[in-house]
Amino acid sequence: MKIVVAVKVVADDQDIFVSGDRSLDYSKARQIISTYDTNAIEAAAQLAADNDGTVVAISASTTKADDTKVKKDILSRGIDELFMVADDSLETADSYATAQVLKGIVDANASDYDLILCGDGSADLYAGQVDVQLAAALDVPVINEVTGLKVEGDKVVVERTLEDEVEEIEVPLPAVISVSPNVATPRIPGMREILAAGKKPSSVEGLAGALETKVEVEDIKAPEMTPRKNEIFAEGDIDAFAAAVAEALK
Amino acid sequence: MDFGLTDEQELLVESLKEYADRYFDDESVRQMYENHQVSAEAQDAYRDAGFPFMGLPEEVGGIPTDHVTLGLMTEKLYEFTGAMTPFMTGMLACADLAEFGTPEQSSVIMEEYEKSGQSVAALCLSEPAAGSDNMGMTMTSKKQADGTYVLNGQKTWVTNGADVPYLLVICKDEDPARENNKMSLWLVKRDTPGVSTAHLTKLGQHTVPFVDVFFDNVVVTEDQRVGGEGNGWLLLMKNFEFERCLVVAQGLGLAQAAQNDAIQYAKDRIAFNKPIVTNPRVQDLITENETILQQSRWWLYYCLWKLDQGESINADIAMLKSWGTRAHLQVADNCIEIYGGLGYTDEVRVGRIWRDLRGNMLAGGTCEVMDYIAGRAVPKAYK
Repeated sequence: MKIVVAVKVVADDQDIFVSGDRSLDYSKARQIISTYDTNAIEAAAQLAADNDGTVVAISASTTKADDTKVKKDILSRGIDELFMVADDSLETADSYATAQVLKGIVDANASDYDLILCGDGSADLYAGQVDVQLAAALDVPVINEVTGLKVEGDKVVVERTLEDEVEEIEVPLPAVISVSPNVATPRIPGMREILAAGKKPSSVEGLAGALETKVEVEDIKAPEMTPRKNEIFAEGDIDAFAAAVAEALK
Repeated sequence: MDFGLTDEQELLVESLKEYADRYFDDESVRQMYENHQVSAEAQDAYRDAGFPFMGLPEEVGGIPTDHVTLGLMTEKLYEFTGAMTPFMTGMLACADLAEFGTPEQSSVIMEEYEKSGQSVAALCLSEPAAGSDNMGMTMTSKKQADGTYVLNGQKTWVTNGADVPYLLVICKDEDPARENNKMSLWLVKRDTPGVSTAHLTKLGQHTVPFVDVFFDNVVVTEDQRVGGEGNGWLLLMKNFEFERCLVVAQGLGLAQAAQNDAIQYAKDRIAFNKPIVTNPRVQDLITENETILQQSRWWLYYCLWKLDQGESINADIAMLKSWGTRAHLQVADNCIEIYGGLGYTDEVRVGRIWRDLRGNMLAGGTCEVMDYIAGRAVPKAYK
């Protein structure tokens, strides 16, 4: 069984700062695996382990992602091989453009895939659209918000946890599935896996041709800070405080 | 001169952070100190991530690792958990077993780790009348007519001694006399008839309890001897320098954890209408701590680097252990001062770290023994 997992490499949001002009300062932020993709990676690795399969990671990221440490991080989590397209035009790529690039990677390197897993959404844009767009581009079925999955013959049985029931759905393969973060807890990579990661195959290529986007980005700005009201209640006057909170929530 | 870390070292540090975040939240740590044990869940997760195998040779299933990385791993584990853990002491005992034992003897390491994440072996060295004065030990092994050996005596301050399946015991061959310098190492299952333990209550470090171990006519066979007959002391001495490095690395990590907490508190705590971190006396405490942390860190990594070059660090680590473990206690003391009254309560962890750090001045050799070692070695280095 061949499983593909789509991984985005993003700037660590803990170290992104808002400058005086509300622009974002990425200069201190190192590149990391987009948080929810670590759950997808773990789900893929567990599925491969249970089904005698292999997992390849694919990524469409900026050239900053072509970083030995972040690549080893991906490969230390149960991934067998990594294919990355790194191009700075992907910085503001929309879901459509990203899906087209990922399709190109799949066609060129993993066209014999059985299943493609995506995370819940990227840590930066969190549009949650790449899975759907990728499935459309590949012309295969897609299902999202999956909280559990197992392989049965030539299909996958997935669980989706709804408010009052757990839905069980059979999906014929090949397919694209996006998983919720609680599908699997990411492993803690041990030194053995970390050391092995540097020896695993990985390739990074530039973008072939121009990026076709459907959304144009004009500017990226942090929202304006709402000034705090600094409303102070007299000590012990819990009723007035509660009333004010209730009013604000209306 | 390169002060940078490799990708692999940085990723290891990230894994340790993740491990600590998952298993060492404040409430879990509090329970571990109350139960006198790191939780089974945290021990198993440590094993699952492969951490206990770091520093052990490949032949026993280990991950050979340089001393710098093992020191880094220790420092960061202690900083991120803010707690004493039994893991590095357990690793040192396994490293002795793997280095000096036969393949059959060292195969117990992986056999035991397959059962649980608990440390496999504990070193039984000190005796009630023989701490720093190791030649004063009186525990003996005596050969019997049937070819077996009988062990008799008492060991003390055996870290993890009641929690491990195997004891690595050093005792004198045949004769307890001070003049007898023939000692052998034995691998003894803790549940062997005649072996018993008694809990000793420490001031701190409750997560790594130590015990008295009594050997009362314990019968062992020749295949349980680790290394050659009469060689035990020479074998053990080989790893004393590295053990002292790890004691300093533990203290450094704990002191750093205290400093992290204290600075955050100083930024948040308002007195006289401003955060106390703006007060020059508080800043003095913070910078004194930082000076100690940085000095001991770079000196420690220099020692570890020298070990990796195959050089002796006999005097270097003796001086660092003597000065550094006392200085780390001072760091925790300063952190209590920054917290004020709150620092003297169990509501925050700097007091616990302070109690734990006092033990590091004694572990692996007292400051006075370290001073004695350095005092003889340093003048000799000036020819």
